Amino acid sequence: MAPATQFEVAQPPNDAISALVFAPGASRRLLVSSWDKNVYLYEVASGAEEAGLVGTFEHRAPVLDVCFGASPDEAFTAGMDHLVKRIDLASGEQTVMSKHAEPVRCVVYSADNSLLISASWDNTLHIHNCTAPSQPPLTIPLPGKPHALAASPTKLVVAMAARLVHIYDLPTLASALSSQTNTPPQPWQQRESSLKFLTRAVACMPNDAGYATSSIEGRVAVEWFEDTPESQARKYAFKCHRQAAPDDEGGGDVVYPVNALAFHPRFGTFASGGGDGTVALWDAEAKRRMRQYQKFPDAVAALAFSADGRYLAVGVCPGFETGMEDYSGEGRTKVFIRELGETEAKGKGAK
Amino acid sequence: MGKKKRGHPDVEELLGRPWCYYCERDFEDLKLLISHQKAKHFKCDRCGKRLNTAGGLSVHMNQVHKENLSSVENALPNRQGLDIEIFGMEGVPEDILQQHNQRIIQNFYTAQAERQAATGNPPRGQPGSQGPAKKLKYETPEELKKRLAEYRTKSATQKAAAASGVALPSAPADGQSPAQGTTPFPPPQPGYPYGAPGAPGAPPYPASGQALPPPGATTAPFPLPARPPSGSAGAPPYFYNGAPPGYPGGAPSTVDDLVASASRQGPSGDDIDQLIRMAEAGIKPGAGSKGEEGAGAGDKKKKGSRMVYADTDVSPEEKMALLPRYRWVEGAAA
Repeated sequence: MAPATQFEVAQPPNDAISALVFAPGASRRLLVSSWDKNVYLYEVASGAEEAGLVGTFEHRAPVLDVCFGASPDEAFTAGMDHLVKRIDLASGEQTVMSKHAEPVRCVVYSADNSLLISASWDNTLHIHNCTAPSQPPLTIPLPGKPHALAASPTKLVVAMAARLVHIYDLPTLASALSSQTNTPPQPWQQRESSLKFLTRAVACMPNDAGYATSSIEGRVAVEWFEDTPESQARKYAFKCHRQAAPDDEGGGDVVYPVNALAFHPRFGTFASGGGDGTVALWDAEAKRRMRQYQKFPDAVAALAFSADGRYLAVGVCPGFETGMEDYSGEGRTKVFIRELGETEAKGKGAK
Repeated sequence: MGKKKRGHPDVEELLGRPWCYYCERDFEDLKLLISHQKAKHFKCDRCGKRLNTAGGLSVHMNQVHKENLSSVENALPNRQGLDIEIFGMEGVPEDILQQHNQRIIQNFYTAQAERQAATGNPPRGQPGSQGPAKKLKYETPEELKKRLAEYRTKSATQKAAAASGVALPSAPADGQSPAQGTTPFPPPQPGYPYGAPGAPGAPPYPASGQALPPPGATTAPFPLPARPPSGSAGAPPYFYNGAPPGYPGGAPSTVDDLVASASRQGPSGDDIDQLIRMAEAGIKPGAGSKGEEGAGAGDKKKKGSRMVYADTDVSPEEKMALLPRYRWVEGAAA
């Protein structure tokens, strides 16, 4: 397992990681949002196996999600303080995009439509037009608390409590926003999650064909957008991130939540990260596991591929487990960056 | 030994199976072992090329990918070294080989004792247990009467015991061949005089007789779930406790622990593994290679799984958001 191609970021966040994301384009910037109220900006050095801390951006409350905007100098954050913020990474200037009534769980930026979407525990989505920042956001009510959000080039997948999944058409949202209608647009599709348990993460295929969801019960489902019986028959789910319990603990499987999913930008394969501290690479088409990396010291909280697919960033911190009275990711939070080989994440194609 | 084998291979067969130095798995034949090693241990991380040896992979990594191989993939923690050249069964150090054979023998006898305990059958090919059964022995009417009386008092006490809910470890006296009287089975010889082929120095199994209490001793001191008194065949007095070796009081069998923990770490293997497993399953289900799971395997499958995070309505983030450490109150923090 050539360990030389994986390295640890020198100055990791001080507390648990909520999200991490690579910048678009050729940039090697990496943003990490943390429960310690900061957003960290790193840059992976070219040629050297290290990533330096470029800056930190302090918030009033824990940051639950972060994403890049149109350029590597623009970022958006989802705050526990109910705010969606835009950060100018060059100047450090923070501007409030909108305010929800409850903590904001996720933010997603759609480059193709210049839209910023935020999802909050107040059961709403806010759709912001990034080309006209002064314009008030469009609010879409949701039937449940959103837990995960992901965008493909034309679709937006919102995974909510009670296994609800709504898929919105992004161009429709964009036109609804520009026409300033008062009736919020309806979802393009409403689905029930194929997984029986609480949805943990969602990731969309970069080729706009479908998406993957994961649950707290060590399972991942892959589904396709197209609503034809043939396409729907292709969907599948599988178990992962489980460990056999030692006999003296009563045997059975210990089932970990699958905290993170990320599709490779070029190969259509995806990575999953679980509470068991492992990252596995899957071939969505061939329905195979391609590889599983050696265990990380703690649960994998977040995953991201760089835009060129060369790097895989892994956010590691202790996982929150049932019955925990207290939690702290202090001292155990780490960010690993793995430089992938040319074909390491390339699938073999469907059999 | 001309008898038809019924799924349970004997020790020679098990010891003759080729096995993998890196992960202690055994295989039906050498070809399967070699393809396993190429797929699991000597496969290039970068380009998927399968090499014949760890050294070959190291050279390949160096020349093709300009990288240094530091350890063998998917190997047990103390078997990751590149210093030992392994190909199939060639190159396995003598001490490791002996250790492995020991483990196989131990697992075999553990499994055999369990089977015996479960089925009540005497071990196969044991002249000591089969000899007397073949001899015809005639009982005089007095002896018969005496035995009947014995049987009556015995079944009466058993019924009484069953009624009061106490499990008697005694075996039922009915249905036995006359020659055996009230002793259900002859006790096993302490220490099988078995020497492993190819491992002349291996001490006989079991390493000590402690694991098998003397006949007549009850099973009470063993942490074994009590069998229901209604069980058709009561546990024989020398019932071997099901704990895997290396657990309470057993001799430390580090390889076992290693294998067990390694199998815990990795979930199911990949396709070639699956194929090999299937190839094996057709021939001998549930023996030998699965020996280390032994006792627990059966009930383990039935046991439910435990979820690390089990709340189906509230996400971990929502719970964390309520902790004083992270809670945010409008106005207070600003």
